[in-house]
Amino acid sequence: MVKNDIPLSVRGLCKRYPSFELRDVSFDLAPGKITGFIGRNGAGKTTTLHSILCFVKPDEGEVAFGGLTMADSAAQIKQHIGFVSAGMSYYTAKRLRTITAVTRSFYPAWSDEAYRRYMGLFGLEEEKTPAQLSNGMKIKYALALALSHGAELLLLDEPTSGLDPISREELIEIFLALREEGKTILFSTHITSDLEKCADRILFLQKGRLTADRELNDFAASYSLLSCQGDAPGEIKPFSLGQRRTKDGCTVLVEKKAADAFSLPFRQPTLDEIMVHLEKEDRP
Amino acid sequence: MKLLKKEFRLCVHPAAWMMLALGALILTPNYPYAVSFFYMTLGIFFICLSSRENHDAAYTLTLPVSRRDMVRGRVLLSCCLEGLDLAVCAAFIVLKNLIGGGKNAAGMDANLALLGEGLLLFSLFHIIFFPAWYKDIAKVGKPFVAASAAVFLYIVLALVSTYALPFVRDCLDTPDPAHLPEKLLFLLLSAGCYGLCTALSIRWSARNFEALDLQ
Repeated sequence: MVKNDIPLSVRGLCKRYPSFELRDVSFDLAPGKITGFIGRNGAGKTTTLHSILCFVKPDEGEVAFGGLTMADSAAQIKQHIGFVSAGMSYYTAKRLRTITAVTRSFYPAWSDEAYRRYMGLFGLEEEKTPAQLSNGMKIKYALALALSHGAELLLLDEPTSGLDPISREELIEIFLALREEGKTILFSTHITSDLEKCADRILFLQKGRLTADRELNDFAASYSLLSCQGDAPGEIKPFSLGQRRTKDGCTVLVEKKAADAFSLPFRQPTLDEIMVHLEKEDRP
Repeated sequence: MKLLKKEFRLCVHPAAWMMLALGALILTPNYPYAVSFFYMTLGIFFICLSSRENHDAAYTLTLPVSRRDMVRGRVLLSCCLEGLDLAVCAAFIVLKNLIGGGKNAAGMDANLALLGEGLLLFSLFHIIFFPAWYKDIAKVGKPFVAASAAVFLYIVLALVSTYALPFVRDCLDTPDPAHLPEKLLFLLLSAGCYGLCTALSIRWSARNFEALDLQ
């Protein structure tokens, strides 16, 4: 069994494409915690996850799990990782029973008891095919497979995208239950409201660069959102981290310590508001 | 073996099994029998095509296996299907000789050397198709067209050789059991070529696949 205080360590990850570049992404995942991985579409979240899993070859950088590096020990490390992606649907015409039988054979630590428990918990039937499952059920099936082989680390790529609010809430409850079992989760999404309900930590990726790696509460509490009637006063501009129009005027994101300097109403922004304002400022 | 089991249970397209039945073309009078081996390469093409549609590579990459093993699994699956195809053809060769099929005017007779001709065809397919496909597994058509062009050229040359090359005309293209030692030697050399080309194909394919970014 691979064990280490830090279940996943990413160092200096770089990947260059003609129109996009992932630049020097480094972070450690806290064990037994849910880490939210946020950023707008195209920020590089999926590229980062795919680099971790060797779907793409990073130009530079290292991914380590429990003291082993992905470059040298990918097969060994993957015994301990589960990957769940909303965009994937494998072998749509095969029965879940068949896919499970094949998957089981690759994992010595596979637990039939855990598999039956999760299939029952998620309301999945083995005689169905992936084509007969809703998107939410496909994600639950992928989770059931990952959890049955004893994955300690779950990499979730937009697992709640395209799901209705009730299915999203169900999944978030599942993630919270898994956290209580000691699983480490990296939850990539652009639906930040989901993370506010479950994440302990936030990684914020902007244009291929990691611009924040903080506790969720600290991250949200470090900003203030000023509300302005009409245009923002000129003296705010040097402190503005991002500005957005509203139907009554505009809102300006500033660092919390700067908010008291202005005689404007302010409050703590949501993750969504932080992301939108920062992205707006960043846009050329 | 786990990957081969996975290939058989999740990846084999029904068309590949249907192609096996086309070994029965050997019963057709005056037909270029090597074409029946081409149909199996078409079955392999369907497997690769459906693998793409079923996100097979993305699924397999999440399993604790290396990319090199993934390539080995797929090529080994092809070898198993080709072996079955050769066995089916061998059965029809025996049947044709039992019912007295006679001389084939369109290439090699239904005999032991025909199996060697099949092995050479599969060798050519392996060495062209798999390394090209593993450069970009999203594009299955172009590698198959390139491999098929080479295979059809080979079929034409093999057919012409039954008229133009004295050794082929007088020794190999004869009803069994005439010239059995020469045919056996040709079969063994073809098997050697098949093994070599398959090994090279795995090596080159793995090198290409390891450099490939999957999106």
